[in-house]
Amino acid sequence: MTDSGGKDTAQRRDNTAPSLEGRLKRLEEIVRSLEAADLDMESALAVFEEGVEHVRGAEATLRVAELKVQELLGPGEDPMIRPLEENRE
Amino acid sequence: MTSLRVWTVTQVNRAVRTLLEDTIEGLWITGEIANWTRAQSGHCYFTLKDDRAQLRCAMFKTEAQTLPMDPEDGTTVRAIGGLTLYEARGEYQLVVRRLEAEGAEGLWRQAFERLRLQLEAEGLLAPERKRPLPRFPEAVGVVTSLAGAALADILTVVRRRAPWTRVIVRGARVQGEGSGEEVAEAIRALGASGLVDVMIVGRGGGSLEDLWAFNEEVVARAIAECPVPVISAVGHEVDVTISDLVADFRAPTPSAGAEAAVKDGEGLAEGLVVTRARMSGALRAMTFRRREVLGVRLGQLRRAGAGLIRPRREAVNQSGDRMERAVRKLATRNRARLSELAGKMDVLSPLATLSRGYALPQGADGSILRSVEAFEEGARFSLQVSDGAVPCEVRGES
Repeated sequence: MTDSGGKDTAQRRDNTAPSLEGRLKRLEEIVRSLEAADLDMESALAVFEEGVEHVRGAEATLRVAELKVQELLGPGEDPMIRPLEENRE
Repeated sequence: MTSLRVWTVTQVNRAVRTLLEDTIEGLWITGEIANWTRAQSGHCYFTLKDDRAQLRCAMFKTEAQTLPMDPEDGTTVRAIGGLTLYEARGEYQLVVRRLEAEGAEGLWRQAFERLRLQLEAEGLLAPERKRPLPRFPEAVGVVTSLAGAALADILTVVRRRAPWTRVIVRGARVQGEGSGEEVAEAIRALGASGLVDVMIVGRGGGSLEDLWAFNEEVVARAIAECPVPVISAVGHEVDVTISDLVADFRAPTPSAGAEAAVKDGEGLAEGLVVTRARMSGALRAMTFRRREVLGVRLGQLRRAGAGLIRPRREAVNQSGDRMERAVRKLATRNRARLSELAGKMDVLSPLATLSRGYALPQGADGSILRSVEAFEEGARFSLQVSDGAVPCEVRGES
């Protein structure tokens, strides 16, 4: 895993991509409204496409295989977090 | 008389002190606490007493700090310590090294109970305060010892179940003097970082005393004020900690805490496959239903058209029939009436009279001549008889 260690080492959430939680929540809504069939055909197709996009995104997230473990350092330290050295047996 | 040895007060007290300290080994003493005071210095002073006697006691800061709370007056305790003399006052006292109430963990239990009641009164233990855990956290915070097995256990579980999750650890000593404050500080720091969606706070199992940090008020308050849901994951050889009670979720071990924090990725992947299938299924059903509805509508339209015409046609047919029937009925009735009338007419007809031999005189204008006045000289008239008319002329006067 790469920790750029740049200025923004706090590494706040990447706000461009929806979170896994967000995707799954949206997927639930999509399935519900598709199954309730309360949409006109055009919106149903649009929503379906959006759903497929979320399924792909979520699957991509699930494929991440390397756990990222970091340590939050004390107040006033820079960087604020750094990779944690684990003593894994 | 030999000269007496004159002692100073200091010398006497020192001698007695030495005597006391050297001749009486450390001892366990049981008694009731009275006049407990904790001085500014951190040292504690109190009296141990029974029905008939009192004993002055001191517990110095280092030892007093290990107490979970100041025991209340009247508490029956066991104290271990050594006898000594406080030279400045010439009072002998017990210097207490360890204090226990009602069994080995009595004081801890008392302290626990006292804090529990206090937090409960403040509403911090109320079930409605419990926040739901995020179902799929992006980042999980962990507050525990960096060296402990608890961290390794947590990481093992998260790595197995949800390796896409980020784990951010804030190390804290979880045992010993000041550990409560350290744990509380770590919770606050992780919470304030805004980096995590949920937090696991815990350590492996231990005795009530080992786990004491998780029964401290600072930790309880840090958990209650934490901006994200907190999972308390303290290995339990004893029943419950204050942290468990205040936290949003209580896990019996650090591993269980990690399992509560992250869902199993395998189930998730399967869920996504199902979701995709459900979406296409629903869409297919929708198009199918659309087509079906269209078919149904067409049928309805066709039937509706037919339906509109049929009753009218029927009405027309019906009225035709009725008219025909009415006319026919009328005709039948009329025919009967006609023959009846004809019968009557037959009877009334002068023709019938004529057939009996009467004759009927009719003027040229067809009028019936009923009296002699009607027969003028030379007038022509006809005489109707049963089978025809006879032309006649009036001759001569009557």
